[in-house]
Amino acid sequence: MNYLDLAMDAALSLGAEYADIRIQKTTDQVVTMRNLSLKNADIRILDGYGIRIFKDGAWGFAHNNVFSKEAVIKTVNRAYEIACLSAKVNKDKKLRLAPERSYIASFKTPLKIDPFDIPLSQKVEMMMDVNSMMMAFEGIAQTSFHMIMHKDEKLFASTLGTRLEISHQFIDPVITATAIYDGDSQSRTFDEGGRAVGWEWIESMDLTEKAKQIAEEALMKVKADTLGPEERRTLILDPNHLGLTMHESVGHPTELDRVLGWEADFAGISFATPEKLKNYQYGSEIVNFMGDNTLEGGLATMGFDDDGVPGQKWHIIKDGILNEYGSTRDTAMEIGLDYSRGCNRATYYYDQPINRIPNLYLMPGKEKLSLGQLIADTDDGVYIQGRGSFSIDQHRVNFQFGGDFFWEIKNGKLHRPLKKVLYKSCNPEFWNSCDAICDERFWRPFGVVNCGKGQPSQTARMTHGASPARFRNIRVGGSQ
Amino acid sequence: MKTEDIRKFIIENTKADDFSCLIREVDSHETRFAQNGITQHLAGPKMGITLNLSFGKKSGSSSTNQSDEKSLLQLIKTAEDIAMLAPEDPEHIASAKEIQLPKIDNVSQATLDLSPETMVDIVQRSIDKARAMDALVSGMCEKHHHKLCMFTKNGFHGKDEFTIFGHSMTLKKGDVETKVSYDSKDYAGFDLDSLFARLASQAEALKDLKSFDAQKIAVILRPAALMELLRYMGWMLNRRQSDEGFTPFTGMLDKQCFGELFNFSSTRTRDEIIAHSFITGWGMPEGIPAQQTQWVENGVLKNMPVGRYWAEKTGAEPSGIFNMYIQGGDVSEEEMMKMVPRGLIINRFWYIRPVDMKRGELTGMTRDGVLYFEDGEIKHAVNNLRFNEIPHEMTKRFLALGKEELASASAIVPTALIGDFNFVDKTNF
Repeated sequence: MNYLDLAMDAALSLGAEYADIRIQKTTDQVVTMRNLSLKNADIRILDGYGIRIFKDGAWGFAHNNVFSKEAVIKTVNRAYEIACLSAKVNKDKKLRLAPERSYIASFKTPLKIDPFDIPLSQKVEMMMDVNSMMMAFEGIAQTSFHMIMHKDEKLFASTLGTRLEISHQFIDPVITATAIYDGDSQSRTFDEGGRAVGWEWIESMDLTEKAKQIAEEALMKVKADTLGPEERRTLILDPNHLGLTMHESVGHPTELDRVLGWEADFAGISFATPEKLKNYQYGSEIVNFMGDNTLEGGLATMGFDDDGVPGQKWHIIKDGILNEYGSTRDTAMEIGLDYSRGCNRATYYYDQPINRIPNLYLMPGKEKLSLGQLIADTDDGVYIQGRGSFSIDQHRVNFQFGGDFFWEIKNGKLHRPLKKVLYKSCNPEFWNSCDAICDERFWRPFGVVNCGKGQPSQTARMTHGASPARFRNIRVGGSQ
Repeated sequence: MKTEDIRKFIIENTKADDFSCLIREVDSHETRFAQNGITQHLAGPKMGITLNLSFGKKSGSSSTNQSDEKSLLQLIKTAEDIAMLAPEDPEHIASAKEIQLPKIDNVSQATLDLSPETMVDIVQRSIDKARAMDALVSGMCEKHHHKLCMFTKNGFHGKDEFTIFGHSMTLKKGDVETKVSYDSKDYAGFDLDSLFARLASQAEALKDLKSFDAQKIAVILRPAALMELLRYMGWMLNRRQSDEGFTPFTGMLDKQCFGELFNFSSTRTRDEIIAHSFITGWGMPEGIPAQQTQWVENGVLKNMPVGRYWAEKTGAEPSGIFNMYIQGGDVSEEEMMKMVPRGLIINRFWYIRPVDMKRGELTGMTRDGVLYFEDGEIKHAVNNLRFNEIPHEMTKRFLALGKEELASASAIVPTALIGDFNFVDKTNF
């Protein structure tokens, strides 16, 4: 049975102005090892379809997990009825969809070795080796290794004539060592945030060596000094840390649905309002952010979004100026754009797609500059590695971040490890204080696999990237 | 296949030494509106079957959302294959045994009967009311009907069923933004007119906003704010994490580590909130009866949630937090304002995250309205502020508790007057 054509024909016969169907099968393998206890070895499959119908300036979305002619027709009817109900409310505030052409295309995440082809026993053996090695360190009280292998297989059809076949995969290993010393407990984590690649990525990394490093650093961290009272200092942030900083302070504020107030009741709105486009000094002149859903290995690189719009690459911030948003077909028209940037994504088949952050990264510095040179050029500061505590207000202005590991810098050298460091800043102060970015040799991507947004809540994934960068005159200090 | 048929099929076809299975079903209708229009509108059923099984101490797990015979056979085979490949788990325990479970009464006929047309009408009336005051409203009107069934090889057989109706509204008028929400198992208790009146009243109070610097100051936390802050204590109260040294409550069982005014339980005696029949595990099936439990009594930590493995190892009764009841008092907000020279009234918090898990320190922002009071009366609104606080230490600074309120479908929480709340930064709105 061709459910794609069946659904689209049924939607058109009802009078839909636009409709699409996304048949989506999600397979997750989740393996969790706590010390040497296998806490979870699970394969989870979610298989179903979501049907969107656009009618009289409003959406209706219905989903189902039953694959039959009757169930598909029933779901189309339900989506249509919901759209008609929505349209009554939207009679004075009709949504519009940006024009888009049709595509017949397919996309498959490029990978050499499918992680699902690797036997569980091999994965578990590797995880036990890693945890055993960390547990051998005196003072390490708990170890964990959590790995997700994720695959989305989608068939998409729309009344524009688009037919897409998409297979998107990623893998995300996370290793944590927790040390206890003198009444304190501190963790250090290896977490690249996931990457849309195959098992060859795991094989290319020496995870045992990385685990050894985090166990040693967890022990250093739990015994480290705290920083003392907050004062204005220089910060150097590593690419992994910057991934989360940019996610919160650039990625979310430049989602067009937030800008329009569509997330006002839950995830919040944005200070980066449309009158600031092309004139607002978001960051210093060396700050350039790209939205790029064509990025190799990117978690949001999947050929097309769930509007059927192809992946694109564009400047979100150009030479420090707010340049453009991440948009969808229905948000773009609200600010007069006649195209979408292809940022409409749903997590599972039963989710209505919403405006999400694309792969978003800070462009490397144009001048040759290494991390060593950057540290050597810093008299007094703090170097933060990895991700820690993070919190930002609902307009995306004021924020406080921690990190996973900290070094005090004195006279151009890493002076001593620190723990419990926090920094506070706000937009646009923070990105305007950026005075140096290392060059492309030091640029690295880091994924985010747990971006929560929307009502009902959805968890999206995207990749960020950066070279180490320096920020001047930021409020940095110890916790409470 | 229906739930009972799925149960019989899995019991008949699973060859493992032991197994636990959880079947979850939910039917939802969700209408999301923003800036006086509907932006999302969705409906449909969801289901999930999770099977954990073991051969000896070797365990595997699999989940599916398909209930035909072929899919269920595949579910069993996948879990069995994983178990065969897994190493022996030193922390393996047998599945839950047959046990008498608490009776439940979590289904509201009014919620079940709520039609999509009525939900859209609620949204339309919310928008009409906002338009009448030249404002914009955003929010969510939702209803859910959940059903759970869990069974094990060892005879555990539990069923749970509950409904949820929710309607939230964030009003924006000029620079003022504020929110109210109703979240309950029972639609019958919903009154849009009074909820919107509260929203309008909150908005009116926030009109005159003045800059306010971060400082330690007394606060009146309204129920939604207190609930959001205390939710994070759930993880920190975990018995195993505490016994192993990772939380502030290591070695604190039966000790006074909260303020004397603080009483926290999961209750089966308050009909307004959902009290489940049994508790599932982090990786799903576990099957712990949801018994009435006093976690904190007059500031003394009396019980800590503990999973079945750690309970067996330590001789504790397995338990879990299935709802939140924070005992209140009888002090009104007006009386609270007179008990301290000056302070802030907080409607809600936002983006709360751990700062230091071992100390139990959290950070977060105020949201949806902060009011400054002095000499017993509200003076004006102030900008939103960032806090860094340790909730269990904060309860030692409780000065008074107000009337208990339904804060969510599974929480009853009072207003609280708290001294020296630690604000550390401010934002520009």
